[in-house]
Formats: sequence, structure tokens, C-alpha cells
Amino acid sequence: MRTRHPFTLLTLAAALPTLAWLLPAPAGALGTAAVAFGLAAAAGVRRVLVPAVVTAAPFWLFLFVLHDLPTTLAIGLRITTMVAGFVWLAAVLAPDRLVEAMVARGWSVTVAYVFAATLSAVPLFRARARRIVEAQRCRGLSPRGSVAKRLRALRALALPLLLSALHEVDERALALETRGLRSGARRTPLAPPPDPALERAARWALLLVCIAALVGRLV
Amino acid sequence: MPVRLLALIPVAVAISLALSAAVEAVALPLFLDTTGTILATALAGPSVGVAVGVLTSAVNTLRNPTFWPFVVIQIIVALYAGLAARAGLFRGLRTAVPAGLGLGVIASLTSTPISYFLFGCTTTGGIALTTALGRALGLPPLGACFFGSFVSDFGDKAVTFALVTSVLHALPRRTAARFPLALRAIGAA
Repeated sequence: MRTRHPFTLLTLAAALPTLAWLLPAPAGALGTAAVAFGLAAAAGVRRVLVPAVVTAAPFWLFLFVLHDLPTTLAIGLRITTMVAGFVWLAAVLAPDRLVEAMVARGWSVTVAYVFAATLSAVPLFRARARRIVEAQRCRGLSPRGSVAKRLRALRALALPLLLSALHEVDERALALETRGLRSGARRTPLAPPPDPALERAARWALLLVCIAALVGRLV
Repeated sequence: MPVRLLALIPVAVAISLALSAAVEAVALPLFLDTTGTILATALAGPSVGVAVGVLTSAVNTLRNPTFWPFVVIQIIVALYAGLAARAGLFRGLRTAVPAGLGLGVIASLTSTPISYFLFGCTTTGGIALTTALGRALGLPPLGACFFGSFVSDFGDKAVTFALVTSVLHALPRRTAARFPLALRAIGAA
């Protein structure tokens, strides 16, 4: 599945939960959940299927506590489809291939930059936040006690992260300007993912199935 | 869009998602996942804020797929923060905290139908538990779901507004002046 075009993977991941909510419950959602689990198992039992099951399990617990059995089954199968579909997508969709596909399709390079930079910035800033927490603890900051004390501690932990992040905006802007990035600029992709006619047809077919399910639901 | 505002978007998204480390350290029932959206809006206006909000939801969806339908809340937060910034409500905690509480009410009113009809109020463990508490208190299902959303959103948005106000005031004036809305948001222009 990794070799499929990124737009095909995205379409499939979007179509599964859409159909789970549109098709009659619980049979429709059972079918979409089975497809999502099949995809997850094909991508790797330990790496994809097990995390999908572990992520979906708490929702079933909360549903059993809050609702009766038919409602639990209907909503639980829909959420399971959504969870399994997205865990599968996160495992098989390479961000760099998605950016290449977007650029090849004529999307502005700024949009492609925002996607790629966001995906790379999140782990970077998470690591920085953890370092700030450790550094402030070393300096004697106690994050325990009354709510007011914890809120003051939160300010001391969050402020350095936010201010350093805003100072970094200047550095990033300078780097982008020196590389000639401007709104509306178009670039030539280095290695655009192949997009066979069969996959394009499959994407349109999935869209039509979703529209048919919506019409069926409304009529 | 100017390059500086373009560079701000991924940084603001990362801020929203990285603050969970600070929240875990102080063990408070907060999300702070709209901090980047509100900060970007206060600095650069609602269009940048909406972009940050949509991207934050998209990245959060990879962690917990049930977050995606709540992208509507991020957009509402950006539009509300834009109005607050234009009104100069970030000029001090006395104006920012009530504005945040107002946003908390709007956010919980908007998120309740999404949470109830799509997910049966089970989007996070905290919301499920407070919804169960609402049911135990005798509230009807939708009322209990609103109670769960309200408890989680009300304080969260007030703290987020206070945090953003602190950042805007701690920012050197020269740096703040590089963003189109920052000085107006703190009432300095």
C-alpha cells in the first residue's frame, strides 16, 4: 500500500469513516470496520493493527458506561472504523511523498511548505517543551500544590517555549526568503509519485459510492 | 501572504501540540490545544489563525482521529480571537480572562452536538467521565454531554487567553511590531 499514490490513500481513509456514518447501522459500520482492520493487518499486525485496537478500546469502554447495547454497537463500530483507518493512514502515508504529489498536482509551494514544516516542527517543539520542563525542575520549580501555584508553574513552563518559538519565526522567515520562497510560486517536483489511471478511477469510484450512500441516507 | 506569517503557521501548530508536556507536568485538567490558534490570530489576524486551527486539527487527527470533526471549534476560536484582538482584549488579564470564559461557553455549546451525535460523548476519557458524572446527577443525555464539554472547555479557554496575553506582553515591542495585529491586540496601537 505504501507505493500507492498519496491521494488514493487519503481518499480511502476519508471514505471509510464517511461510509461508516452513512450506511445503516450496525451492518454498514461492521463492514467498514472489517475493511479498515483488514488494511491495518495488511500493513503490519504489531505495528498497525495492535495500535489500532488499543486506540479504539477505551471508546468501547466509555460507550458501554454511557449507552445501551444497540447505541454502543452503532457508535463503537463507526469510531473503530475511523480509528483503524487513520492509524493505517499514519503508518502508510509518507509526508514527503504527499508533498511531492501536491507539488506535482500544481499546488502552491507555500502550501506544500506549510504541510512539511508542520510535520517536522511538532516533534522538535515537543522535545523542546520536555527540555524546558526538566530545566525548570532543576531550577527548583515545583509543579505541585494548590491550583494557583500550578497555574503559576504552568506559566513558567509555557512562556519560555512560546517566546523562543516566536523568535524562531524570524529565523525561519529569513531562511525562506533567502531560498526564494514566495506566495504562489510553483516548483518542479523531484520525484513525483506515479498516479496510474486505475487508481484515479478508484478514487472517483469511492467518491461516487459516498455520494450514493449520502443520497440513500437522505431519501 | 508575507513570508513571516507563512513561517508562523507551522510554529504555532507545533506550540499547540507541544504544550501538552507542560500541562502534564503541572497535572491540571487542561488541553491548551488552541494556544497556537489564538496566539497566531492575535499576532496576524483570523485568516492565519484559521490556517493554524485547521492544521492543528489535522495533525491531532493522526494521534486521535475523533478530533477531526472538532476542526469547526478551531475555526470558531480563530474568528472569536480575531474579534478579541481587534477590540484590544489582550491588553490585560482583567479583559482577557472574561473573554476566554466567553469563548469557553461558545466552544462547549458548539462541541456538544458534535460530541453527542457523532461519538456519544466519548471523545476523551475526561469528557466521558464528566458526562457520566452529569448522568449520575440526573441530567438528560444531551445535558450531561454539555456538562462534560463545559467543564473541560470553560477553564481551558480562560487559561489559554491569559497565557497568550502574557506572551504578547512579554514579547519585545520591536518583535511584536513585525506582526500586523500584535500591538492592536495589547492596546498599544
